[in-house]
Amino acid sequence: MSAAKVKMREKKMRNQPASVQYPSSSSNVESSTQNGADAPGTGKNADPLKGGLSEVHPSTERQKKTPHQSGWVRGHHKDGGGYTKEMPKYVTAGAFARARAAEVSAMLKAVRKTTSSSRVFEALPKHMRRRAMSHNTKRLPHRLREVANRMREKGLQAGSKKKKEQAKSKSRKARRRHGNLLLEFNRRQRKNIWLETHIWHAKRFHMVKKWGYCLGDRPTYKCYRACYRAMSSHCLLQDLSYYCCIELQGDEDKLLAALSQLTSKEAGPTFAAALCLSGRRQGSVMVYRAGRYPSQPLGPVTFLWRPRTQGSVHRQLWIWAHPTLKQDLLPELQTVCQCCEAVLPPAAPVEVNPTLEAESEPENTPEAKPVPGTKRKRSRKDATGPPAKKILGDGTRLRSTPVSWRSSSNGIVINDLTMEIVRYRLIGPQSHSVLVDTLEAATGCDEVPKSQTCSLWWPQHCSDEAKMTLHQQQADIFNILKGIYSTAELPSGTVLGLTVDDPRLTLPRKRVKALPCVKQAQEVDEEKRQKLMLEGVPEPCCQSFIWEQSVRDNVTDNKISEQELNRMRSEVLVPGSRLSPTPLQGRVPILLVEQPGKQVGHEMSSWGAGWDLLLPKGWGMAFWIPLVYRGVRIGGLNMSLKHSQNKAAPHFPRDYPDCPAGMRFQEEQEAELLNKFKRHPPAKRTNYIKHGCVAPFRCPWQQLAEEWEIIVREGGSQTRTTAQADAVTEERTSQQAISITKPPSRFTVLRNRKALKLLSAWCRPTTSKGQRPCRVGELPPISCEAVTSFLSAHAMSLVWVHVSLPSKGKPEYHAMLCVPTPDDLKALGNRQGTGGPQEPPHRDHFKSRIKRRKKDPKKTATPSVTPDKPDGKKADLIFASDLDTNASKDPKSFSESSSDLVLGLWPDPLPSVASHCSRVTVGWVTQGDFSMSAGCGEALGFVSVAGLLNTLLNQTSEHKGKLLLRNPTSLHYRFAKINIEV
Amino acid sequence: MVRLKSRYLLCEVNVSDRSQLLLLDDRAIMVAVKAAVARTHGDYGAAMCSIRFCVKYLNAHTGIVFLRFPKSCYKLLWSALPFITSVETRGQKIPCFLNCLHVGGTIRTCQKFLIRYNTQQLHRMLPKCKSEEEKRQVRKAILSCSLTESKEAFEEDSESEEEEEEEE
Repeated sequence: MSAAKVKMREKKMRNQPASVQYPSSSSNVESSTQNGADAPGTGKNADPLKGGLSEVHPSTERQKKTPHQSGWVRGHHKDGGGYTKEMPKYVTAGAFARARAAEVSAMLKAVRKTTSSSRVFEALPKHMRRRAMSHNTKRLPHRLREVANRMREKGLQAGSKKKKEQAKSKSRKARRRHGNLLLEFNRRQRKNIWLETHIWHAKRFHMVKKWGYCLGDRPTYKCYRACYRAMSSHCLLQDLSYYCCIELQGDEDKLLAALSQLTSKEAGPTFAAALCLSGRRQGSVMVYRAGRYPSQPLGPVTFLWRPRTQGSVHRQLWIWAHPTLKQDLLPELQTVCQCCEAVLPPAAPVEVNPTLEAESEPENTPEAKPVPGTKRKRSRKDATGPPAKKILGDGTRLRSTPVSWRSSSNGIVINDLTMEIVRYRLIGPQSHSVLVDTLEAATGCDEVPKSQTCSLWWPQHCSDEAKMTLHQQQADIFNILKGIYSTAELPSGTVLGLTVDDPRLTLPRKRVKALPCVKQAQEVDEEKRQKLMLEGVPEPCCQSFIWEQSVRDNVTDNKISEQELNRMRSEVLVPGSRLSPTPLQGRVPILLVEQPGKQVGHEMSSWGAGWDLLLPKGWGMAFWIPLVYRGVRIGGLNMSLKHSQNKAAPHFPRDYPDCPAGMRFQEEQEAELLNKFKRHPPAKRTNYIKHGCVAPFRCPWQQLAEEWEIIVREGGSQTRTTAQADAVTEERTSQQAISITKPPSRFTVLRNRKALKLLSAWCRPTTSKGQRPCRVGELPPISCEAVTSFLSAHAMSLVWVHVSLPSKGKPEYHAMLCVPTPDDLKALGNRQGTGGPQEPPHRDHFKSRIKRRKKDPKKTATPSVTPDKPDGKKADLIFASDLDTNASKDPKSFSESSSDLVLGLWPDPLPSVASHCSRVTVGWVTQGDFSMSAGCGEALGFVSVAGLLNTLLNQTSEHKGKLLLRNPTSLHYRFAKINIEV
Repeated sequence: MVRLKSRYLLCEVNVSDRSQLLLLDDRAIMVAVKAAVARTHGDYGAAMCSIRFCVKYLNAHTGIVFLRFPKSCYKLLWSALPFITSVETRGQKIPCFLNCLHVGGTIRTCQKFLIRYNTQQLHRMLPKCKSEEEKRQVRKAILSCSLTESKEAFEEDSESEEEEEEEE
């Protein structure tokens, strides 16, 4: 019984009499008699008994001592209701009478007293009950009325107690008051940080808590296709502020030396790429643990160098990383740069006051231009009250946690700028027109700043001639953007620094769709546009003041509040006209970064290009609403996945199974999917065992890579002799074989450019019409020697492939990529358009075990299970007997660990993943969907390099790169064409 | 309305030597009843006796026992009770017989009957008393149980509840 039940029962049985008997154990009796001898009574014979019965209510007395034993207790219990006193020698009439009397009173109590849960009227006989007795005590008999009244009052009090607790929370009006609301918001984002656009998103999106943030997953309205259309023809907006920015400062050569340990030239351009280093382009690299290329990758990052200032080797670098990557990347950067010295944030006032000031501003609205001194005083006063300030940036971080690290040896400083910079991504060919429409280059301030001590940054900049000419140049380039037809025309990764006016001032009254105005702009000048498209933005124009910490802070602190702005608007003479002069606070330094679209492959090139908009914190909503008013679609996390899928780019962390973040992601996803699977009743679940799907919720890449390595190693000699050798050798990949092998190395994803190019050329059908055969000449043609030499380097690798289904079929994730048999290919050649081969259904021999276990849960499952008979096709193979023994061994080993069998899923030690089905598995799909750009099913995934090469070797040139794809919930194989795109 | 119905038998254990009564034990009674039922009704009876049969209450001083039988077969089990001639407890065999005083559908009715019965017995005891001392004691006992017609049963109840709450 649970504790609550025991308590209830105790309460109920409180008044019931317990059995009255003496303790049963004889030793006890003896000891008690001794006690009696020790303490002789007053001389009377009946004394001991008297003592025993001196308690008139024996049961009640005992209750007080041991409340748990009171009342009717189920079954016999030792010393049950026994007196602790000794057993008397004689029984006298008086004692007996007393015992009777005691019993009577005990019984009386049991009969009279109701259990506590009953009300007064419940104790009345049925015929005396009346309607609504509990409500109206006057319906009770007079003698009970008083008691009932008292009980009723008590009940009311109890009720009011609960109410009192509720009343602690304030009225809705009070709760919704601005300060209190902010406090509540701050409390709610203690665990998961909110982005600045959180409230906007929360009203329109399904929010998910991920990576320590609250992020919009997908909109609540239907817009999947609309979002796709926006991406391909107009503009889709996303808030990517959750990306973490890490700032590195130091001398250029030292920074490069430190960072070179993290990357490798083999995987593409590094941090030192000339274009990126100049600050004109944004670069992206794959980061590895220091000196551990290629075995220990961390993940992809993008980086941005601040353009050089004249005569200085001091450089600034921003590295943008996904939040799941940051926890791995930051320590790595620290070790590489030898920055272990944490720089504590400078004393509190610097950190606290700006925010306080920023918040105190709206409170004293009447002051148009508050003097800093007075503000500070006010903020002090305010600080005594509850600190109802909106958290800007990463407010959940403790004040004392360091955000900056300095190296004593080489002078490099690492700053963690997480949530300091707002990043919006505009995807789509028209994103530049949206930007041009929304933003306006800052107007200079004509009036000479009267007060030299002006706290705003813009007037100071205006006084500097050089800065103003730079600003003019930047504004010119920004205006040229109008004339561009598509965002993709610009060189990828172009950076443009700019200072803009507050976009709220030019907010249209109605939502409009920003359209390009090419004609109008063509008049401007053709050659400048050409130059921009060819060369990108000249270096000085990439400079922006957003790089300066002080300017960022200044801008954030001096933002005009929405309320203030509206007040100013209302004072304008002509309603709806633009504010003039523009308030001085409304100049924001921003950075525009072009995002490259689809870079790989031949079709749809540069699809999904766009701009990233980098803003100082606090200005998020000020830019968001104006952007939304330009008719953009808003996408969530879901859309960014689709974006990368259409771009055929791996999506972090989903498609980085070899990175720590990717592994974590896989674990989480498996748990989530398994949970969802288990929520269905067993009869309504897919039985994945019957579908021959070994791991429907995760991809055991390591096992796959290992198995293929063994297949290739052992079958190396045979591959030359027979064409079907691989079909033979894969049968040998039993768990036994794996256990023999040396401690396996970890699998990696192939990122070596040269190797990828070679692979890509190999898996292309050489006789295809549209293919240019130029590059094949340079590369060695596929042959056994070339393959073995390739495999010696990359045997444990996976390679990222793009799979397209020429006929039917919509791939889902975790779909299997399998090798077609020669018969399949022949069938494909004969009749184009037929689906594909079918997988014979498998037998689920775990089902019977689960059933049996259900019947007698005490008995452990006996290992006498018939082994999974291999398909008839396999039976005639040489190693059939070998396989059989293995197969029969496998279930035995499972049965021992069959503690958590789930119907329809393989228990944990998985069987051979490669050769589980009739077609040999070489890989899995990680993203797959019907692609709206291609009009057929498309998928992205990984295949084992060894498996792929083995397949390619045996395929004729006509069918190069043809694989089979099978969804986990289907038995139908579909033909698919794989491409390795570099 | 919908419940498992039982019959409660209020029995008196009659012994020749009153002091032997004090040795009694609910487990012993249970064993004795089961044995008697098994003897008279065989396996069928034993099986009947194994379901929901229980000794609810035993007072070793007065020899009062509450037995619970399932309602469906209480007559069968009851018929075995006269065959109990002795109860074995604490290594001793106490010769006794069970006298059924009352059969009730609820414990409550049995309790009510017992109150009446006990007071009646006490009243019968009074004239038979031999010494003045005894008489005094019995009278006192009678008084103590006749005074319990208190109307304040609920009051006490509520008071005790309040105390409890305070303790909590």
